Amino acid sequence: MEDRPPTDAALAERARQGDERAFEELVRMHSGIAFRTAYLLTGSAADAEDAAQAGFVKAWGALGRFRKGAEFRPWLLRIVANEAHNRRRSAQRRDSLALRAAVADVSGDAVPSPEAAALDQDSRRMLLGAVNRLDERDRDVLACRYFLDLSERETAEVLGVRHGTVKSRTARALERLRAEVEE
Amino acid sequence: MTGLEQRLVALGSALDVPETPNLAPAVLARIGARPARRTRGVVLAFAVVVVASLLAALAIPDARSALARFLHIGGARIELVDRLPAVPTTPPELELTLGQRVTLDEARAQSSFPLLELDERPDAVYVGERGTIWFLYGTRDAVRLLVAQTPRVAIDEPFVLKKLVQAGTTVEPATVRGKPAYFLIGEPHVVLLLDENGLTYEESARLAQDVLVWEEDGRTVRLEGDLTRAEALDIARSLR
Repeated sequence: MEDRPPTDAALAERARQGDERAFEELVRMHSGIAFRTAYLLTGSAADAEDAAQAGFVKAWGALGRFRKGAEFRPWLLRIVANEAHNRRRSAQRRDSLALRAAVADVSGDAVPSPEAAALDQDSRRMLLGAVNRLDERDRDVLACRYFLDLSERETAEVLGVRHGTVKSRTARALERLRAEVEE
Repeated sequence: MTGLEQRLVALGSALDVPETPNLAPAVLARIGARPARRTRGVVLAFAVVVVASLLAALAIPDARSALARFLHIGGARIELVDRLPAVPTTPPELELTLGQRVTLDEARAQSSFPLLELDERPDAVYVGERGTIWFLYGTRDAVRLLVAQTPRVAIDEPFVLKKLVQAGTTVEPATVRGKPAYFLIGEPHVVLLLDENGLTYEESARLAQDVLVWEEDGRTVRLEGDLTRAEALDIARSLR
């Protein structure tokens, strides 16, 4: 019978019992999404690395309060998002945060991904500008939903808001974007 | 998924996100200790801690005009004098951090618990994160008192005391209607809440003033203002 890799739940439970190797595996499995989440919330690679790292450290310390059977990823990302928000506020970058889009993937010889091909550079620039002008809370919700591909429920948990708040903020943000880019 | 949502997904795939650094070595180096264990299962907890770095962005600017104002609440005459530091922020900041403006009746209807109220109606009411109901007395530019009521969190005393002592804040125990309360002295303040999963999340002490917090009937209540301990307790005991 083929050995399956341990699940998040199994690793989290082992880590909860003090198994550092299990936690190390969780760190390796979730470093990418943790760093990306922190980067999208801070706009700074240095802050994102710091926030993701601190998030993992705090998650280790909080494992005793992690509910058995709960999902590890949104729980972790919630901690990371808190750390990222702290750094964003500390740096007073709240209003100057600006995400940037890569420019190389649609102009070179490489075949762009179907998703990237769906946007030409001008419309991408326009959409990105509109996203960057959103209120930070609306921008955070959109980042979780569409840039991190989190569900509404996960987004609510990560941002520490109610499910209904995610729905309403998403709708409001989309409406604002639509007014800017589709008029 | 609408066309706009598809374009957002496409934009996400094109974002210039730096390569993920190798986090594991640093994380493992920092977790020298074993994780804390708790046996109480799901803990609804509330904690307050002071963190020096956050307040500049969260205080209220126009309240810097150093004028004494007077507020009569529940029979207590409270003198409020602004001594807020000069910080680079804008007046709408406060409202952004409080939530959505509603009427008092709407707040009563939306709240999942019966609100504790003072005889004097608040000048503004907001519904914020996690169902927190905010009463603002004064004006947005010159706040005299904030009362926050957040459901489904409770004070975890050991956590509060440990964190606050670490942060150098003075904690004076008190009681409100027989419930343990804490008067937190020292600024600037940041509130850390623990949710049902035991995760902390931050809330600013909006006025960067001392804070009185207590737990009562399934909610935490927080008073913020330029208040002495006695004044804060007078107001707290007037809530009903």
